[in-house]
Amino acid sequence: MSDAAAAAAVRRPPARRHWAEHVLLPAEMAGRELGRRRTALGLLTLLPLVFYAASRSDSDYAPVLGGIAMAFSISGAAIFCVMSSRRLDTRLVLAGYRPRELMIGRLLLLESLGALVALVFAGVIVLGSDPGDPGELLAGVFLVTLCAVPFGLAVGALVPSELESVLILIGVVGVQLTLSVSNPVAKFLPFWGAQRLLNQSAAGTGATTWPIIVAFLYAAGLFVIACWAVNRRYANVR
Amino acid sequence: MSDSPTDSVRTSTGAPVLAASELCHSYGDRKVLHKLSLTVDSGERVAIVGENGAGKTTLMQICARLLTPQSGALRIDGRVGYCPQIPGLHELLTPDEHLALFSPAMGLTRGEGVAKGRELLAEFGFPVKDHGAQIRHLSGGCQQKLNLTLALLGGARLLLLDEPYQGFDHGSYMNFWDHVQRWSNQGIAVIVVTHMLADLELVDRVVSLTAVQQEEPV
Repeated sequence: MSDAAAAAAVRRPPARRHWAEHVLLPAEMAGRELGRRRTALGLLTLLPLVFYAASRSDSDYAPVLGGIAMAFSISGAAIFCVMSSRRLDTRLVLAGYRPRELMIGRLLLLESLGALVALVFAGVIVLGSDPGDPGELLAGVFLVTLCAVPFGLAVGALVPSELESVLILIGVVGVQLTLSVSNPVAKFLPFWGAQRLLNQSAAGTGATTWPIIVAFLYAAGLFVIACWAVNRRYANVR
Repeated sequence: MSDSPTDSVRTSTGAPVLAASELCHSYGDRKVLHKLSLTVDSGERVAIVGENGAGKTTLMQICARLLTPQSGALRIDGRVGYCPQIPGLHELLTPDEHLALFSPAMGLTRGEGVAKGRELLAEFGFPVKDHGAQIRHLSGGCQQKLNLTLALLGGARLLLLDEPYQGFDHGSYMNFWDHVQRWSNQGIAVIVVTHMLADLELVDRVVSLTAVQQEEPV
């Protein structure tokens, strides 16, 4: 091969765009990278369990604390995914990716990973705390995952550096943890729907529809914000 | 070659690939580019030189449309291949995985992109055994070869290479300039940021970024 570089450089790419490739390939590569961070993955799974174990003497509150603490892990992973990729994302967008394709790929990957963590965590709580309504508990931890991923993506896309991102994560999740579910401020935070379901799961009573709707609305809104932020960041790149 | 930005050697009579007019950019109070104008034709090889902080990388980022100038106009005809000074590669992914990741964006299938990328890497003397190694285990020179390959993968009319041979050994460095000549022969415009005086003999034109010269027509 004497001149592949020159030949590659003059060849114009064909005009084709396969949605699945543009979304699933970034998701696959983000997954491969995250999968090679075994220590981080271990901590990601252990962190909510540590919160749960530390508060297990309060059998009603421990699932809420551990469940909401999952947001530290999952949102943290989402923030890391966005912020560690900024340099390469710039080149990927310059090459032809749309920013939202990169974000959708990460959303799919992290929601899948988060669902696995939620499943493990729910199993531990069912065995350890014997909640009144295990279904509600399962829904609660899945709602934490549902909101935690777009929350992390939005923070990672909006905030300029890691320190600020982590402080925002600690602030929002920390305040949600300290407030009672009936507190008016808690209702305006992203994990209120999940918190309410986790809270109710001990007794197995209470409405479930509205908390689920709120969580879905929050997740959708946060993901729209994340996409808007990356579109704005790369608006100049065509 | 010329040592003045006003004495350019033009290798094409067609429309310029890049036309920048009166670009200005500042970081806070620090003015980096001031009324910089630059035109580059197809097939032209241009070296950008200047002291640290003179605005070389800023100019490249503006030309790659990664940074919006505070004033001035920029027109680029065709796809840009950008090789940044800092590669920003994922340290836990392999070269093949990077090639695969870039492929769909370039209009290539995964297989095509990896195959084409491997050919390019081979031309730059990248060891075959390292195709599956994680980036963090590669030498700086090998990382830079991948960085350069990613800029070339999808085809470009304009190559923006910001100190592209950091970490290259002597053979790779000479090989790089052979490729610049080939790209030029193919009609690809190449802009190279460099600090090496020997490079200035290998280009058609040198643009020196200093406060005085930026105000002169280039």
